[in-house]
Amino acid sequence: MGRILLVLRLALRDLRRRRTEAALLLIAILAATMTLTLGLVVRDAASDPYESTRAATKGPDVVAGTGGFADLADLEKLATASGVTEHSGPYPVIAGKIEASGRMSDVQVEGRDTAIASVDQPELTQGSWVSDGGVVIEAAFASSLDVSVTDSVMLGGRSFKVVGLAVTAAMPPYPGTSCIVSVGCVHGAIPTDLNLPPGFLHNPGLVWLTQADVRSLAPAQGSMSYVINLKLADPDEAEAFVDANSGDHGGTMMPMQTWQSILADATELARDSQILLLIGAWLLGLLAVASLSVLVGGRMADQTRRVGLLKAVGGTPGLVAAVLLAEYLLVAVVAAAAGLAIGALTAPLLTESSAGLVGSAGTPSLTWSKVALVTAVALGVAVVATAVPAVRGARFSTISALADAARPPRRTGWLVALSTRLPVPLLLALRVAARRPRRVVLGVVSIAVTVGGIYVLLVLNTFLSEQSGLRAYSEAQVTVLRHVLLVWTVILLSLAAVNAIVVTWATVLDNRHASALARALGATPLEVSAAMAAAQVLPALLGAVLGVFPGGYLLFAAIITITDGDSNKATLPGPWQLITLILATVLAVATLTAVPAHLGGRRPVTEAL
Amino acid sequence: MSEAPDTPVLRARGLRKEYGKGEGLIRAVDGVDLDVVAGETVAIMGPSGCGKSTLLHLFGGLDRPSGGELLLNDRRIDNLSEKALARMRRTDVSYVFQSFHLMDELTAVENVELPALLAGRSPRAARRRAEQLLDQLGLAGRARFLPSALSGGQRQRVAVARALSNEPLVVLADEPTGNLDSAATLDVLRLFEELHEYGQTLVIVTHDARIAATADRMFSMRDGALVDETRLTGGTTGKLGALVGLED
Amino acid sequence: MQQEVILAMLAKEASHGYELRARLRDALGPLGEAMNAGQVYVTLTRLEKAGLLAVERSADDADRSDRKVYTLTPNGQQRVTEWIAEVSWPKPDLAEFHLKLIAAASAGLADPLTIVDTQRRELLRRLRDAQRAAMAEPSRSNAALLLEGIVLRLQADLRWLEACEKNWTHRRRIS
Ligand SMILES: Nc1ncnc2c1ncn2[C@@H]1O[C@H](COP(=O)(O)OP(=O)(O)O)[C@@H](O)[C@H]1O
Ligand SMILES: [Mg+2]
Repeated sequence: MGRILLVLRLALRDLRRRRTEAALLLIAILAATMTLTLGLVVRDAASDPYESTRAATKGPDVVAGTGGFADLADLEKLATASGVTEHSGPYPVIAGKIEASGRMSDVQVEGRDTAIASVDQPELTQGSWVSDGGVVIEAAFASSLDVSVTDSVMLGGRSFKVVGLAVTAAMPPYPGTSCIVSVGCVHGAIPTDLNLPPGFLHNPGLVWLTQADVRSLAPAQGSMSYVINLKLADPDEAEAFVDANSGDHGGTMMPMQTWQSILADATELARDSQILLLIGAWLLGLLAVASLSVLVGGRMADQTRRVGLLKAVGGTPGLVAAVLLAEYLLVAVVAAAAGLAIGALTAPLLTESSAGLVGSAGTPSLTWSKVALVTAVALGVAVVATAVPAVRGARFSTISALADAARPPRRTGWLVALSTRLPVPLLLALRVAARRPRRVVLGVVSIAVTVGGIYVLLVLNTFLSEQSGLRAYSEAQVTVLRHVLLVWTVILLSLAAVNAIVVTWATVLDNRHASALARALGATPLEVSAAMAAAQVLPALLGAVLGVFPGGYLLFAAIITITDGDSNKATLPGPWQLITLILATVLAVATLTAVPAHLGGRRPVTEAL
Repeated sequence: MSEAPDTPVLRARGLRKEYGKGEGLIRAVDGVDLDVVAGETVAIMGPSGCGKSTLLHLFGGLDRPSGGELLLNDRRIDNLSEKALARMRRTDVSYVFQSFHLMDELTAVENVELPALLAGRSPRAARRRAEQLLDQLGLAGRARFLPSALSGGQRQRVAVARALSNEPLVVLADEPTGNLDSAATLDVLRLFEELHEYGQTLVIVTHDARIAATADRMFSMRDGALVDETRLTGGTTGKLGALVGLED
Repeated sequence: MQQEVILAMLAKEASHGYELRARLRDALGPLGEAMNAGQVYVTLTRLEKAGLLAVERSADDADRSDRKVYTLTPNGQQRVTEWIAEVSWPKPDLAEFHLKLIAAASAGLADPLTIVDTQRRELLRRLRDAQRAAMAEPSRSNAALLLEGIVLRLQADLRWLEACEKNWTHRRRIS
């Protein structure tokens, strides 16, 4: 017990002694765990919600409609076909227009019983189920219309009260809604030169009324179509069932949809977001690793000396390892907890807007396995960071561990020689950089990853802007994808900023003595601060250029490969955009590093000498 | 050294430096008056903690006094901006530290040329001057060595060469032999003697009596003030032989 | 100069008086310059009379003492061996200065601190001379080593003066 207390006390003491470093380490691990959490949660959002919606709504295995050709009797026959265990409907469906919040949209109106159906009973996310004069709107459609319960909407010239919002597994959520009306539908944006046949629905939504209300709205019996929801004995046989039963109805097949095809349509959009997020997660992971390496590397060197001290006063290698481990574990556990919390809280920002789209009854939750994975990663970092100095400390003699002050600076002769020809701030900057080549490489990589990411964002953004006028995505889909891109950008930039500050701070600390000496020899504080900032800005410039080419280029190619996309559809950023991107990066890094560099340059000379 | 011999290069009047306030007030330098004439060597001796380093920091513009006047070549320097002080350190005063403070990753000659580069000399002129200085200090063969490959005495001589790089008016040395053994101390002492003969103005802070004994004047410092002045020029009363028992 | 030193310098081989003096000069450097030649011969004569040295007269110039060749007698050998094994050490006479301060203070003859300051000046000047002499010697020479001894002793004395000063400043403050 006493030993544990001692270990904890020593660990806490050291953390408190170097607060800034401990805080930066915390932020770096936190960013890594948060990103991982987000990635995991959103990955599940892509497939899980449909499953849960299907379970909650007693989703059908096959949905069959009359379309324009089959008739009611054909549907009723299906109810007794072999393999069918349960069914609901047939329900009448009409095409119409809905007016809400001053906007007109096309809509498919399905007539339902007020009683609970045994197959496809839409799950209410708000309000109550249909009643005469009350309409229930599909959740994603409702959010696109911007209506909620107790609002009034106009349907076929009559006013209905919105009594509920619901999700269903019988068709993909708006705007992927499948077509169940006889007149036919068009999805996506319509080129202006395309003349639609009259009555065609464009991007229709779905609402439910009572059967009586539907019939009263129908302009003529002939315009009415029907749908039936079927539950099969073996859901995996849905495809075979469709093949066997769609039959020949005057030269066309009866339109039937299996639950598998609904699932595919429903999750298409989520999959696109997921790919974006996963690639984002990879980039963020790289950044987190870069900043962790700088911090942990710097601390490890410091720890070697501490190991020597602990051994000199009688600490066994076991105790030494325990102290080091305790220190990192404390940081890692706090960071993992915070990262999980923030990740779980921000995940809805990404999934919520697509929740309705996905047809989810709620946001996917953080499962224990996810928590375990994220925590394991954080602890893994701690163990790796501990292992090196602990093993080294055990192997080294106490004396050499004590003598190993800080990591001795490297000498890069040609850089020193080159620097003599430059103005003072650049002269000092180049020498600062030459002292720690590995840190410079990490800085370059970190900026290259960030800029590569931004390059891809630019491409995707232009792509989306062009798409809103074409067929591939509807406006709502573009909004969702934009939203995902935005979150992605914010996290990427924040982490890059943290990285820049971490690297600068480490450099300032590392060069405290050299800077003080340069000032004692006649360098002005401004020159020293400028040198510190320039030592970051020069690698940033290199990183930015590498990030555009080949970084961004390769990254984009990778995305195209993974998503099976067609790179010809995308417009790459123009030269001006790229130059602006590089300059903006350099400017941002200069601004971010100015503060620590300035603080470092202001310290009194005599203190550091 | 174009000034008349008795023009003080460095003049302090009522110089003060305080740290902290209230109960914890420390008067590190407490009313120092001092004139250092061109070409002379002045030593300041005193027990550790009496304020020697602080005083030298003030002289060198590394720290700003809390009160009093400080003049370098008849120009007030106690109220200069940080930037002007840096300029002054480039050309007018230079420093030799107890722990050498050489840059570990730079070779001897690169260390020596650094102040000249900071002062904006051309790389070639800076290099030529550095090599010439190392040559004069007997380190020509060590010019391409890193400090880690040099002995303590050699390192301190490199540091002195660096201090001479921009031909300063005054060289300030803070315990220059504090980290050296007896033989290396002798090396540095010889070097200071040569500088003295050459006419370099030197202010040396030390608690090594040997260094102090080579000065023209020696001051004793106590609790932040100079309490005693000894003029060391002039003959001794006894003979050296008597000191080893060869004579009575 | 102690007799045993002269004896021991002759232990290597039989030598002329002038050879002996050259050997001493070499060992003492600038300090040897001040050595009184007459005193060396007085010592030699004394040793001869005590039967510790024997003289082999050189053929030509029998009377000149620096032409004489001196050699150790067995007694002389014995004496040198004993002397080498001795552990005597010159005693610094600090008590005198110490008592001087006490007497000056108690009788009000002078300010002890002034005495300390004057003494320090004197010691510093000696230190400077020794230092200069040491710097003029090639390092690792016999003379340099001896001069280093002087410098170190003077430094020790100066340190003691510092202690005296502290002590007397303290006493004055109390009274
Ligand atoms: N930055 C500082 N803050 C507070 N006190 C200081 C500082 N620097 C020096 N001092 C105090 O000023 C006094 C003189 O210090 P210093 O000049 O270093 O003495 P010396 O060089 O003679 O040993 C000491 O008491 C020291 O504690
Ligand atoms: Mg000091």
